[in-house]
Amino acid sequence: MTEEVQGEPGGPVLLEHLFRREAVRIVAWLARQLGSQHLQLAEDAAQEAMLRAAQLWPFRGVPERPEGWLFRVAYNHAISALRKGVRFDDKAEALIAALESRGEQTDALDLDETLRDDELCMIFMCCHPEISQDARVALSLKLVAGFGVGEIARVFLVDEATVAQRLVRAKKVIREKRLPLAMPRKAALSVRLDSVLEAIYLMFSGGYAASSGEILIRQDVCMEALRLGRLLAASWLGAPRVDALVALMALQAARLPARTDAAGDLVLLEEQNRGLWDTGLIGLGFSYFGRAIVGDAVSVWHVQAAIAATHAMAQSAQSTDWKAILGHYDQLAEMTGSPVVAMNRAVAVMQVHGAAAGLRALEPLAGHAAFRGYYLLPAVRGRMLMELGRMAEAEDAFAEALECECSEPERRFLREQLERARILAAIGA
Amino acid sequence: MSKYILLLRNDPSGWEKMSPEDMQKWMQRYIDWNNKPYVVQSDRLDSFTGRVMQKKDGKLSVTDGPYGESHEVLGGYYTIEAKDFDEAVKLSSDHPHAEHGTVEIREIMAMPEHGRG
Repeated sequence: MTEEVQGEPGGPVLLEHLFRREAVRIVAWLARQLGSQHLQLAEDAAQEAMLRAAQLWPFRGVPERPEGWLFRVAYNHAISALRKGVRFDDKAEALIAALESRGEQTDALDLDETLRDDELCMIFMCCHPEISQDARVALSLKLVAGFGVGEIARVFLVDEATVAQRLVRAKKVIREKRLPLAMPRKAALSVRLDSVLEAIYLMFSGGYAASSGEILIRQDVCMEALRLGRLLAASWLGAPRVDALVALMALQAARLPARTDAAGDLVLLEEQNRGLWDTGLIGLGFSYFGRAIVGDAVSVWHVQAAIAATHAMAQSAQSTDWKAILGHYDQLAEMTGSPVVAMNRAVAVMQVHGAAAGLRALEPLAGHAAFRGYYLLPAVRGRMLMELGRMAEAEDAFAEALECECSEPERRFLREQLERARILAAIGA
Repeated sequence: MSKYILLLRNDPSGWEKMSPEDMQKWMQRYIDWNNKPYVVQSDRLDSFTGRVMQKKDGKLSVTDGPYGESHEVLGGYYTIEAKDFDEAVKLSSDHPHAEHGTVEIREIMAMPEHGRG
């Protein structure tokens, strides 16, 4: 990804996402110095620094080192906030002293190195098993990716109050259980790492899900998840399954530019213009995939990355190696027992053995709780029925899908399919 | 050329609710505007310190800002140059602040040229 700059030629320009990046770093650094019980103070300090910048920079110009400026303002704000609390908090004096001594050192420290460490600790805290799973993703987006409540709400199609509530609850857990801002112990590391990988992929798929008109913010979420994955992969925590997750995300993200057309409508994988796929990301994906397959352990990320790699390797939709993909789905279904995997597997079955076999593979999923209110299962069934020429049934299936909650582009797509089934039924095709 | 002053009023709490990304994007628009060639001077005023002083019958009264509403807080000003008021209004019409609060534009009165000699 290139670092793009904004603004008019000649004027001062800021690095893209500077505030988002710095907000995260400041919060991670301050909270790690002060302890997670002072997370709110750290967040307030970062917010204050950005507000101050937003007020002053337009009039006084952008300072020479904007990152250092923000850091310093936040740091000063934290110290003065702690001073105000000295009367009520007998530990405040000690915290101020500690912060001041660390603050003096920041100029000499390799700040990048320290901040990467702080960020990793923050990821692990956000994905702590004590925090509920939906809150882990929201919290990571807020604290590790620097998104606002409104942005998180737009990505996950929930209202802001719901996101805010999840965050409040998660922060309460952090405070009350005193979840540490530290790397997990060796014994717990593997399980904790899995929880982090899962949250990162949920973050990625939240951005990847083709919904709403907020394409830019969704792509940002995907790219942020990819960045976090790479951060982990580059750290001492790097493991083949981390590489596999990065490979999976990179290979899927490569298709983002081709997934919607100019009108914002969905384009199915087989109809995508493969020339629009991001070759840089595909290259990145394959290089991580190559690293992931050293060693014997096969994780769910390996298998999913293998599926994405198979698609990426196909020159055209027709030349896709569906047999290989079906084999991967067989393995994944066995590993996860997930009904969503079973549904995707049914699509591969259709490609290899025909729509009738695909439909049979879908049958056991009917009525499964995981699909309640989910448009994708009836939509997939509708497509298979159409393939088989059973147009009236296909029409019903698409109508059923339309009753579920889905985004505007998805709705348009489903309506189009329904119309096609209706027309084909009418002409007796 | 005449000079005009733009008075920016807003409710500072609007900014507090923004995400870092939005804040940066807004700020960049202000920065860009500030770099326009016709901007002569500009500065930011602190939104939270404001006192109004008035002396009546020899008694000084000091009150918190003149603001009945928080969105009346004067947040900053620009001085711009334009050939006439219409042009000044036109030049100012794309100021990002208009989407945030209000921009009041006033001509700075020039000293009338006195007849010499």
